[in-house]
Amino acid sequence: MTHEELRDLIPAYALDALEPEEARAVEAHLPGCAECRDELSSLQAVAAELAAGVAPVEPPATLRERVLAVARPRRLAVVPSGLWRAGLAVAAALILILGGITLVQFQRIRTLAAHMGALSARLAAQERVLVLLASPTSRTATLRGSTQANVRFVYDRATGQGALLVSDLRDPGANFVYQLWLVAGQEPQSAGVFRPIPGQPIVIPVNADFRRYQAVAISVEQGPQGSSAGPTTVPILNGTI
Amino acid sequence: MLATGALLGEIEKAARMISAGSSMGDEERLLERVAAGDVESFAAIYDRYSRVVYSLAWKMLGDPQTAQEVAQEVFEAIWRSAGAFTPGRGNARTWILAMAHHKSVDAVRRQRLRAAEPLSESHVDDADVVGLALERVLGAEVRVALASLTEAQRAVVVLAYYGGYTQQEIARRLGIPLGTVKTRMRDGLRRLRGQLRVAEEITE
Repeated sequence: MTHEELRDLIPAYALDALEPEEARAVEAHLPGCAECRDELSSLQAVAAELAAGVAPVEPPATLRERVLAVARPRRLAVVPSGLWRAGLAVAAALILILGGITLVQFQRIRTLAAHMGALSARLAAQERVLVLLASPTSRTATLRGSTQANVRFVYDRATGQGALLVSDLRDPGANFVYQLWLVAGQEPQSAGVFRPIPGQPIVIPVNADFRRYQAVAISVEQGPQGSSAGPTTVPILNGTI
Repeated sequence: MLATGALLGEIEKAARMISAGSSMGDEERLLERVAAGDVESFAAIYDRYSRVVYSLAWKMLGDPQTAQEVAQEVFEAIWRSAGAFTPGRGNARTWILAMAHHKSVDAVRRQRLRAAEPLSESHVDDADVVGLALERVLGAEVRVALASLTEAQRAVVVLAYYGGYTQQEIARRLGIPLGTVKTRMRDGLRRLRGQLRVAEEITE
């Protein structure tokens, strides 16, 4: 389909009024087209108002209990990454105030602080894996398939916490991402997309009621959002949980 | 002194950016914490959105039991995939309500498949269908905005959004060419966008 044909599908996409194959074509087009992305996000905001315009009905209290039961608390406390970041900010500010620093130096510090923010996010993800591994009820599944990689999935049925650990996975190519799927019967559900970082192991946190799933799989999808319907390619890695 | 003041302002901005992760709003930050597995933030999202999610599902599916199932599905999906939400692209509210609509539409289509209702044999008058779909749409702004559309545009938007019909089904149902449905949908949504923006500015 041409850009014009796909652009004409955006209003219907915003209303969830496309046939599945049309929706997939739009999803494949979006990552590379800023014009269509902008149009979609503004029309989705209109659609959100249509949702908000429905006369409100109070849901039963039992629904809240059932929904929150899905999200189980962790057993061990983890150092909140927010504290780390706040500490860094204060330190950066102090250095600046005490030193009478030039704007160039300031920019450098800001870049550094941004790096440290990213680092603290990675640290939080790694802490999560430590917590998981320390749990007596956690299990590990090794994913195998058509590609050479070291990919494991650690999960805890008791707490609903899990994480995908990835190293040595090759780059999926520009415009592509890896997408992680949790599989219940024949129904794969997306658990997020990621791109490997060369030379670095990465951790993707996943929250789910793992008792409901039998497998995890990774497929290559069009980036940056991946597929919303299910894998569009044969998964390259699979594991049983 | 002036330069120091400006610099301090910059520092403050940077500090806020660092401690917040980026220039995110309140709900975007909540979603970020949900992605990290924070149950309290998830409960906060539930408390803010359960009513609209449930009401939309009930309206589209027509019964409270299925609406509960769909609402549960929506919040489980939010819990599971909050990490997929990118703050730079759209806001949390739009993301959550798009998810709610998407799941409700899926459920409506499953329901229709089970009921095996062939579209051509439907005897319901289309004016009734639109009227039915508009029932319980009470938000004053949305009502005014919908009223500003032509009748033809309104029918297409309402059948798609609240009725859960695809544009091809709407074309068949109304007996008009697909191209006409697309045009009405696009023009209708654009007009709504203008109307709702005007409403926003007035309330500010």
